[in-house]
Amino acid sequence: MESILKVFQFIQGLGPSVVMPIILFIMGFLLKAGGGRALRAGLTVGVGFIGLNLVIGMMGENLGPAVQQMSERFGLSLSIIDVGWPAAAAIAFASRVGAIIIPVCLIVNIVMLLINATQTIDIDIWDYWHFAFTGALVAILTGNEGLGIAAAVLNEVIVLVLGDYTAPGLEKYNDLPGISLPHGFTTAFVPGAIVLNKIIDVIPGLNKIEFDMTKMQKRFGVFGEPILVGSVMGIIIGIVAGKDVAGVLGLGITLGAVLVLIPKMAALLMEGLVPISDAASEFISKRFKSRGKIYIGLDSAIGIGHPTTLAVSLVLVPLTIFIAVILPGNGVLPFADLAVIPWMFVLIIPIVKNNGFRALVIGFFTLLVGLWIATDLAPMITEAARRANFAIPSGADQISSICDGANPLTWAIVRLHNFGYIGTGIVALIAAALAVINRTRIVKEAKASHGA
Amino acid sequence: MKKIMLACGTGIATSTAVNVKLTKILNDRGYEGKYKITQFKIGEVVANSSNYDFCVATTQVPPGAKCPVIMGIPFLTGIAMEPVIEKIIVELDK
Repeated sequence: MESILKVFQFIQGLGPSVVMPIILFIMGFLLKAGGGRALRAGLTVGVGFIGLNLVIGMMGENLGPAVQQMSERFGLSLSIIDVGWPAAAAIAFASRVGAIIIPVCLIVNIVMLLINATQTIDIDIWDYWHFAFTGALVAILTGNEGLGIAAAVLNEVIVLVLGDYTAPGLEKYNDLPGISLPHGFTTAFVPGAIVLNKIIDVIPGLNKIEFDMTKMQKRFGVFGEPILVGSVMGIIIGIVAGKDVAGVLGLGITLGAVLVLIPKMAALLMEGLVPISDAASEFISKRFKSRGKIYIGLDSAIGIGHPTTLAVSLVLVPLTIFIAVILPGNGVLPFADLAVIPWMFVLIIPIVKNNGFRALVIGFFTLLVGLWIATDLAPMITEAARRANFAIPSGADQISSICDGANPLTWAIVRLHNFGYIGTGIVALIAAALAVINRTRIVKEAKASHGA
Repeated sequence: MKKIMLACGTGIATSTAVNVKLTKILNDRGYEGKYKITQFKIGEVVANSSNYDFCVATTQVPPGAKCPVIMGIPFLTGIAMEPVIEKIIVELDK
């Protein structure tokens, strides 16, 4: 017993940049991706982890102190740095829940398909990290890895049902037939968007307003590019922090570099997962393609190109920073995840029937609440990062992210676990109810199409 | 040497997956060294499109691209991939 424990402690001490390549190599090997390919995939992920750590470290060294000076000079309370989704994904995959998330989520998906509780074959293996993220936070909150895994599974169940539910709208408004987006971040905004949309429906005057925002993107597209967003923010933060000219310009180019480099490192993580995700998706789609109406679950990135999504996000990027500064109770300075704001809108667009005005209003409220959520979850995210041997930027006492740090579904699942097992029970009941409703619909539709 | 743009929402996520697959398919069919793939974020496509021969995208491309655009979502779903590959080969052979 003693020696087994020592082995586990040794493995954990290695850190994710060593452990992840080993896990991925073994998984790739088991899925018959070929020894050489599996080895290369595993090492690529390790390189991604190291690169990401370097860039986040650089960001912390430069942004951390500047934010501190800025806050001191103007009495702001923005001490939590938004490190972005690539870091959040790396932290999630490096957690203990993350180590087994891929096989667990595959099994849950297969079981749900078998009992007709979903129509989605979720081949977007990469985005399982969202479920692992929820699980990792729950494990930290409750000190119980089992509850963490349960939370990740329940999160997946809810997201798969929401994916089915939103798929018809996606076909109609995004021209994406046969596809659903069971994406842990994008679908999390669906329930809130439905409620807000209904509220706008009954407010006289507001319910008549419609904006066509498609022309905006063309004119202001360049300002949405990370290299400009990073540099401009760096210059502004530098000025507000009272740096000299050299300091201001230096911070500008450094933060521009950070926003360009972080995604490149994330690309390495993704690339390493491709052989595994290919093998896994082939495994499930081969077995389920012949069944009734099936959606292929993809990354919601495929919906980002919608002109309204791009335009609304463009307006909300500067607005989010502004809200963050004036919102009482917010401690997060939005930065690296300003790039993920479009993800929020992919499924909101079909719900508001492509009305730019409503997308803006809903986006505004969602981000406002999101900042509070990201502030609330920051201590747990920071702890998760520490456990994953991740560099915590100096000068910032905490880290968070807009993607999933500000995710209302993740927040609800995590915070219900304040009540321990009772919380798990409540989430399980909700997930089970959603699955049953979905199953009833699927069976009914299958009967109807058989009768016709 | 044909220059291919590969575009997705971020220039990272789905375009990386498609890049790996497309490279393997094209090399298997003997096009190794005859093309160069560059990944783009969807917002950058229109501005850079005049420097490329054609674009494979996994999301909607805003109007105004100055090169042919091929929809690459089948590379992600694995369904009806062959017609897309054929379209790409036609562009490569031009």
